Amino acid sequence: MKYWEDFAVGEIIALGSHTITEAEVLAFARKFDPQPFHTDPEAARRSIFGGLIASGWHTCGLLMRLSVDANRREAAAASGSPGLDSCRWLKPVRPGDTLTGRTEVLETWPSRSKPIGFIRRRNELINQHDEVVVAVVGITMYRRRPAAAA
Amino acid sequence: MKYFDDVQVGDVMRFGRYEVTRDEIIEYARQFDPQPFHLDEEAANASMFGGLIASGWHTGAMFIRMVVEHMTPVHATTGAMGFDDLKWLKPVRPGDVLSVESEIREKIESRSRPDRGTVKIESRISNQRGEVVMSLVSLVIYLRR
Repeated sequence: MKYWEDFAVGEIIALGSHTITEAEVLAFARKFDPQPFHTDPEAARRSIFGGLIASGWHTCGLLMRLSVDANRREAAAASGSPGLDSCRWLKPVRPGDTLTGRTEVLETWPSRSKPIGFIRRRNELINQHDEVVVAVVGITMYRRRPAAAA
Repeated sequence: MKYFDDVQVGDVMRFGRYEVTRDEIIEYARQFDPQPFHLDEEAANASMFGGLIASGWHTGAMFIRMVVEHMTPVHATTGAMGFDDLKWLKPVRPGDVLSVESEIREKIESRSRPDRGTVKIESRISNQRGEVVMSLVSLVIYLRR
């Protein structure tokens, strides 16, 4: 089990990759973000984006999924998030892009009242051209390592 | 249509009605946030949340759906740069009905693109009891008149 104590400032965690398909872009956008440049390939071609792009909220979901999978691989005792400092959608994400996730640990501090600790982290998705497409700075809670039995 | 020039700091808009369902919570979680308290009612009952709750990112997706339905048709926006200061304040549960209150906080003219500007919009997403479940400050790009 990876507890709060096991995260170090400056640590970089590889989150794995996901290749996004046109069907995924359309399904998310039709349900949650039905703007023409997310839902209609023809209208998207004529838009300022020059083609279909994924909803920014979809890319955040993908980053979350890669983080959850990485926590599971590391058996990390993740315990939710109170919120985020910032999120920036820096480049369009297009069908066929391969997005690789990466986390950098920026800061750690313990809770005063609960057996958890906080981690401020910068999470990024990077495309196959080495461009950061979305960057999220936020806080994640992890459980503290239980005191060793006497 | 409201352009950059038309929105004023302090303007408040109230809109949206989103019924949160158990099936949608689970469907979103399977794809994007497969943690037990978003996926599995029994595990959720045993968790610190005492029942199934929506992924915070799912609440974000429900928020953007309400924005696209109610604001995008009448505001000359062309996407967003992102957002700041997002807080997940209360759990969102099956049966909750969410709505949005948005307030114009700041207008920033673009130096490089005179045809557009960025507007900071603070939004509070509330449930049917008037409890704010999520808040954020979006950086929305508006076209100029």
